[in-house]
This record gives sequence, C-alpha cells and structure tokens, in this order.
Amino acid sequence: MTFQLDLSAADLLLLLPEIFLTLWLCVVLSLDFSLKRITHQQLGYLSIAGLGITGLILFGFDQAGTTGALFKNMFVLDRLALLFKLIIVGATALVLFMSIDYVRDFRFFRGEYYFMVVMSAIGMMFMASSNDLLSVFVTLEFSTFGFYVLVAYLREDQRSSEAGLKFFILGVFAAGLLAYGISLVYGETGTLIFSDMTGTSGSYGLAIGYIMIFAALGFKIGAVPFHAWIPDTYQGAPTPVTAFLSIAPKGAALAILIRMFYVSLASFKPMWVLLFVVASIFSMTYGNIVAIAQKNIKRLLAYSGIAQIGNVMIGLAAGTKQGSDAIMFYLLTYLFANLGAFAVIIAVSQVIKSDEIEDYNGLNRRSPFLAASMLLFLLSLAGVPPLAGFIGKIYLFIAAMREELYILLIVGLINIVISMYYYLIVVKKMYINEPTDPSPIAASLPIKVAVYVGIAGTVLLGVYPGPFIDWAVDATLMFSNIGGPTTAALPLLPGG
Amino acid sequence: MGEYSLLIILFAPFLGAIALMFVPRQEAFLVRMTAAIAAGISLLASFYIFFAYDTAKGGFQFVQRYAWSDELGIAFYLGVDGIGGPLVFASAILLFAGIFVSWHIQDRTKEFYIFLLILAAATIGVFMSLDLFFLYFFYEMSVLPMYLLLGVWGSHTKGYLSMTDPEGRTLRDSIGFIFNFGSNSKEYAAMKLTLFLSAGAVVALMGILLIYHFSGLHTFDIVVLREQAHFSGNLGTLIWILIFFGFASIAPIWPLHSWSPVGHAAAPAATSMLHAGVLMKLGHFSIIRVAYEIMPELTRELIPIAAILCVFSIIYGGLVSYFAKDTKYVIGYSSSSHMGYIFLGMAALNYISLSGAVIYMFAHALATSMLFAMAGWVYDQTHTRDIPSLGGLVERMPFIAGAFIVACMASIGMPGTINFIAEIMIIVGSWDKYPFQVVVAVLGIVLTLAYMFKMMRGLFYGKLDPEYAHTADAKQWVDRMPLLLLIVCSITLGIFPGHFYEVVRSTVEPMVDRINHVVPLITQNTQGLFP
Repeated sequence: MTFQLDLSAADLLLLLPEIFLTLWLCVVLSLDFSLKRITHQQLGYLSIAGLGITGLILFGFDQAGTTGALFKNMFVLDRLALLFKLIIVGATALVLFMSIDYVRDFRFFRGEYYFMVVMSAIGMMFMASSNDLLSVFVTLEFSTFGFYVLVAYLREDQRSSEAGLKFFILGVFAAGLLAYGISLVYGETGTLIFSDMTGTSGSYGLAIGYIMIFAALGFKIGAVPFHAWIPDTYQGAPTPVTAFLSIAPKGAALAILIRMFYVSLASFKPMWVLLFVVASIFSMTYGNIVAIAQKNIKRLLAYSGIAQIGNVMIGLAAGTKQGSDAIMFYLLTYLFANLGAFAVIIAVSQVIKSDEIEDYNGLNRRSPFLAASMLLFLLSLAGVPPLAGFIGKIYLFIAAMREELYILLIVGLINIVISMYYYLIVVKKMYINEPTDPSPIAASLPIKVAVYVGIAGTVLLGVYPGPFIDWAVDATLMFSNIGGPTTAALPLLPGG
Repeated sequence: MGEYSLLIILFAPFLGAIALMFVPRQEAFLVRMTAAIAAGISLLASFYIFFAYDTAKGGFQFVQRYAWSDELGIAFYLGVDGIGGPLVFASAILLFAGIFVSWHIQDRTKEFYIFLLILAAATIGVFMSLDLFFLYFFYEMSVLPMYLLLGVWGSHTKGYLSMTDPEGRTLRDSIGFIFNFGSNSKEYAAMKLTLFLSAGAVVALMGILLIYHFSGLHTFDIVVLREQAHFSGNLGTLIWILIFFGFASIAPIWPLHSWSPVGHAAAPAATSMLHAGVLMKLGHFSIIRVAYEIMPELTRELIPIAAILCVFSIIYGGLVSYFAKDTKYVIGYSSSSHMGYIFLGMAALNYISLSGAVIYMFAHALATSMLFAMAGWVYDQTHTRDIPSLGGLVERMPFIAGAFIVACMASIGMPGTINFIAEIMIIVGSWDKYPFQVVVAVLGIVLTLAYMFKMMRGLFYGKLDPEYAHTADAKQWVDRMPLLLLIVCSITLGIFPGHFYEVVRSTVEPMVDRINHVVPLITQNTQGLFP
C-alpha cells in the first residue's frame, strides 16, 4: 500500500472546520501570552466564538450537502460525520460556558484550559470522520491526551490526581488493546480502511481483534464491563471536565462504532448483535441499580451515564439504519439533559462547595430556577414525557422491536422504573426536604446560558422532535441498504 | 371557533402553567387568578363540547390532526367521543374546583398551581388523544406532577392509618400492610404512588409498542388501528393482558390498589380530588380506548377477568373503609371500592351496563371530589384526620356539614344525584351476565351507606371536643363556590340526564355491537414472538 497525497484546494475545503478551529485556537493561545490585559473570561468567550463559527461552517456543509473523502478514504466527511461533529462542537461550547466561572478559582490556571478542551474537541471531530483503523487510533489518542491533563487539573486536590491517574492507566491500557486489536485485524484482512473490509471471511484472529477494538471503544463510552474508571474519574475531575467527558468522547466513539460495525462488519451482524445485546442489558441494569446507592451527585450521574450508554447500545444492537438514527437522536437528547444537569451542579457547587446529594436539600427554596431546571433534566434522563429523553427512548425501543429484540425492550422498560427511583430521590431532596442553610443561590450569566440552552433543547426535542428525527434519518442514508432484519429467514408478518 | 375547542381545553392549563412561571411569587393573588382564569377557559370550552356533541352523529368529533413524526407514524390527533367528552368535562370541573379548594395554600403557591395545572392538562390530554403514542405521552405526564404535589404539599399519615374494629381491637389492612413497610410518611406515599404507576405505565407501554409492531401498520393512530389491526391467539392475549393490567393499575383494580389509599391520604385536597376524580379513570378510559376499540374480539374473551377481580375490589375496599379511622383513608378506599362498579359495568359488555360505567366515572368524580374537598377543609381546620377524636363539628361548620351530607348521599347513590342513574344502569345491565357480582355490588352499596354514615356521624355529630372550638366554617365565596359547583352539577345532571345519556349512548352502542358481533378474524401469524 502506497500513500500518495494529491490534495487540491477543494479537497482541503472538507477539512475547513478542523483547520479553522486549529488556527483560531493558536491565535487564542498566543493572545493569552502576548496581550497582558486580556482576561481569562475573554479567552473563554473567544474560544466559544471559534466553536460557534465552526458550528456554522458545519451546519452550512450539512445544508449544502458537502460530502467527500480524503487521504485514500482515511478521512470521510459524510452527513453522519457532520451530525456527530455538530454534537461535539455544541457540547464543547456548552462546556466552555460552564467553565468560564469555574476555572477562575483554579490556582494554576494560565488560560491553557480552553486550549486543552478545544484541542480534545478537534481530536474528537477527527474521530467522527475517521474511516480506517489507523486514523481511529491516532485520533482517539489525540483526543484522550487532552483529557489526561484536564482530569488531573486540580493539582492540589487528591481526588483529582487520583482520578487522573486512574483514567490515565486504564486509558493507556485501552490504547494498548486497541493497537493490538488493529494489528490482528490488519494481519487477517490486509487492509485498514473500513469499507474495504466488507466481505472478508471470518476467522478467530479477526474476531479477537474486533473484540479488542470493541473493548477499547467500550472504555471510551463507558459500557459495562469497561466502566470501572467512570465513577472515580467523574467525581474527581473538575466538574466542567466531567460534563465534557460525559458526552463528547461518547459521541465520537459511537461514530466510530457505528462506522466500524455497520460498514466493515455488516456480514457478521448476527454475532455482534449478541455482543451489543449483552453489553446493553448489563450496562442498563448495572448502571441503574448501582446509581441508587450513590451519595454524590457526580457519581450518581456517572452511573446514570453508564445506564444511558446501555440505552444507546439498544440502537447498536438493532444494527439497522433506524437503530443509528435513534442513536443520534438519543445523543442529542442526552447532550442537552446531561450537560444541563452538570451546569446546575456547577452553579450549586460554586456556592455551597459540595457535590453531596444531601446538600441539595431545599434547593427549590434557595433557587427555584436551578431546582426546576434540574428537575427537568433529571426527568428527561429518566424518560418522562413531554421531555426529550422520552422520545429518544421510544425511538430506540421501536428500532429494537423492529429487529425483534424483545428482551432489550423488556429490560429497557424495567430500567425506566428503576432509574425513576433514584432521580426522584434527588427531586425529593430538592423539593421536599427543608434546607439547612436557606440563603439563596445565584447562578452566573454564562452558566445560566448553558442551563437555558439545556432547557430549550430538552423541551423542544420533546414536544417537536419531527425535524430532528428527519435530520437524523437523512444523516444515515448510506446505511439504508443494511436495514434488513437479522432474522430474514423468519416469515414476516402480514402487512409488515 | 368550535372546531378548536379541544385545543383550547388542552392548552389553556398548559399555557396557564407557563404564564405562572413568569408571575412573581410574591403576588399570591395574581398567581391564583392566573390559574383560575386558565382553568375557567378550559371549563367553558369543555362545557361547550359536552353540550355541542352531536349525539345523532356519534363517533369522534371536534377532531384535530397535525403531523408530528412521519418517521415513527405519530400524529398529534385529538378528538372526543361520547366517553371522552364527559370525562374531559369532569376533569375541567375538578380542576376549576380544585384551584379554589386550594386557595389558602401559602407555601410555594406558584409551584403548586403550576404542577396542578400540568396534572390536569395531562389528564385531559389522555381523554382526547386519538393516537396511542399521545395517549401514553399524556398518561405518563400526569403521573410525575403527583409526586411533587404529594411530597411537597401533602401531609403525613401519622399513626392513625391503623384500623380498629367496633370493639376497639386494632386490625390490619392485609395487602396494604404487606406493601406498606410500616411507613406513613408523605414521601413514602409519593414515591410508592409514582413507582407503582410508572411500573403500570411501562407494562401498558409494552403492550402499546407490541400493538404498533405487530399490527404491521407502523402507526399509532387509534382510528386506523381499530379498522385494520387484528389480534388473536397467544400474542393477542399477551397484548391484551399487558394493556389491561398496565392501565388497571391506575384504576386501581384489586390487588394493584395499595398505592392508591396511601396516596390519597397523603395528598393535599385538590390533588386528591383530581386523583380520585379523574386520574383513576384514566385506567378505565384507556382500557376502553385501547382494548375495546382495537381488540374487540379478545376483549369479549378476556374481560371476565375484570368481572372476577371487581368483586374483591368492592368487598375489600368497602370493608377497609368501614374499619378505617382516617377520613381520607375512608374516602380513598371507598373510591377503590367504587372503581369495582365501573369494572363490573365494563365487564358485562351490555350497552346499558357500559353506559352506566361511563356515567359512573363522571358521577364518582363529582361525588368523591366533594368528599375529599371537605375532608381537606376539616383537616385544615383541625389538623387531624382521626375520626374518633373528632365530633360535633356541625356546630362549628354547618355549611360544610350540610354539603358533606349531600356528598355522602351522592356517593351512596341517592336518587336525584347522577350516581343513582349510573348505579342502577350498572346493576340492571349486568344482571343477565353476572348475577353474583350484582348481588355483591348491591351489598357493596349497603356497605357504602354504613361507612359513609359512620364517618359523617364521627365527624359532625356527637360531642364537640373543646380543642376544636376555634374551627371555622367555609364562609368566603371562594370556599363555598367549588362545593356548590360540584353539587349543582351532580344534582342537575341527576335530574336531567337526558343529554348526557344520549352522548354516552351514541358511542357505547356501536362499540358494544362491535364487540359482541365481531366475526372471527383471520388467524394472525405470531411466529415472530412465539417461534
């Protein structure tokens, strides 16, 4: 295999969002040390502006239908990638809004925090576009690198250092698994490009290789049994970083999972469906049951995140175009609800300096706005109508049911009830219990922006999801040919 | 104007709730007025649809349909028939009355009215949904506000949940005891109610999704499904059972009732009114709307389940009510006992009995909400619901005592109230098919008489404890108006039931014909589910 890089300007246009954001970021970083008077807040807003412009470019691409492939198909820009990139950029922008006040109190803060966050975001944007195993490895490590630093950012806090170390060791281990898996797959197939691997015959080497890659990506999305790092890391990391970790890398890794399993492993579908069914059932059940026992709100959201990934994997298990649509819609709903919840946590913790659920007692009396928004976000995560999470869950269930995966439907529905219990415990603390300290809690403007965006998204996707569902449907048109049911041998029902 | 009535009824409370978010919380009067105006608009529009419903035409009227998601086959599809229409009317009456009943709530008034409006609007939404997805959407949406209404504004049940027999020995509510874990706090009641109802809801959702999938039509449209979907065999039975028990858990049918009296006891008055008045009817209504409409054949085969269970509901609920000492507990269990009558009327599949069941839903909503409103008033004045420690309150609150007697009479089914017509229709209609159950139901009426009189005597007659000498009657118009509204509705419709009866008949008659005369359908291939 020889690489020839013959790029034209038109080709480079496909890379415009990433190139623009990188340049913008370098400018922001150099402004930081060249201009003495620039404040960290201004740096934050500048970074957000860059992300905003990038988002506009991506949206323009999406509307104009700009698609293409670069570097011998290593980098593809299709509508799937565009939608995932938009999710990543949106999440990053919201995270920066939440960070602006939070990072002001960092002792060792020099403005490089924003650089780290956006750099990771760029890595994840590349992940969403990567179409071969080599670029998967490079982009995945690229994006994780920023996180290693960010998680351990609170140097004086032991928990943060512990979180950073745990994340680093397990992350490196996952990287090792990924590299080993890639080498096995390459040895068996002789190619690295996803789309060239279709039609390869099965072998043990291939199976082991793919299971290793699945494990490495499962580590990124935090699926059971690769979830062990999540609670401690979420609890120890600075809260905006936790918020970032809870959505953006999951989105990027899901883009790779969808591409890899839908494109290169389409012919082995019955086998990997089983893998996802098992992982999904365990993630949902384990995450929800363990979340009941949590005393810390960040740990609670960590376990609920494991359960949410279990829900997302229902879509992967369905293995159809509709499954991938449902995943993308669900990610959108999860983005708003989860980031909104973290924004409330940041606002509260800045005043009360605690993340214990016990300290949320009487939040409704101290800040009706924050309590009501937290209520909304938690109920959306639980899947209560008319909020976004409900539509997302129904969509996933319908996708699973079309593939006759009734077991996922049953487990998923039971888990809705289980999850309702621990979300309601938090609601109980906020609304029913009386506060020990009734002083009001005020949120700063940037955090309010994040909360308002979260509310708007959660409600809008819940009551008017039509256009967003259509958007997700259009983004995965390339998978329409693999929509056939797994059980094609069984007779379909009349009219079906 | 007329054709948008349903949108007005549904969205007036929602918009009221949204408007309330922007009303400053110090302006308590403005908060209450906003809620009252929203509910008033809803009430007027529902009054209009109740009387403008064309009984000659029947079927679904005031239909509104908007595309929502073509990909999933969901449309925002509203319409009422002769069953939904009266229940929408009942919900609007209860919401309007409930807002005035809770006029004196001081703690977080704004949030209270927001949640109350959302609760009522969601209930109304169920009664007018012609799309299975939205039926569930509103159904589940009505459960969550209950949690906060109970948990925040409710009251603890303290020690008096235990019951004593006439000799003063302590009894146990066996089923309630098993599920109660000895806890009487309002938080516990709220959590239990929410989890029970959500569990029931997901069971029903499973059934709905199976209908969606196995109909092969990929639509949630009830009208299309009832014309084209056919279910039978094991799969059909499974779906029917899921739908029936999923929705019956909110009704609540014995043995799924244990959340309900605990919830009633903990809830503030207005919430109990809506809960007992209309929330519980969501169960019967949804069973009729989903099981009766879409699976008529299976309904004919399987509805005897309801006829068997309703006996336990009637007797068990009645006996517990007789021995209970807590006013709200008595009324709560009497509600769950009376729900048995509705199930009996539904099970007999006769058009008189089914019409009776529908009218009973409406009648019970009015009667029981009056009782809850007054139990709430007595509790607010005396801060206890323990019947033995109360007495002689008629001296202090003559208006409440008088209204309470009327409410008891309505609950028993005295001629002159709409309850009488409903009970007679259920009993007459069911006699041919279920004579044993009818005998039980008549005994149940006697039992109702016994516990209602016992409670009335315990609260209002006898010697007044000097501790309660300071209690006050309902003197302001805001306090009297809701009770008078409910009494007037109950008695007016009881004396002039003609239009109401025609409205119900126009829908029930074709439905019963359809169920009793359906021709055997082509056997469905169920290999997908049961290979």
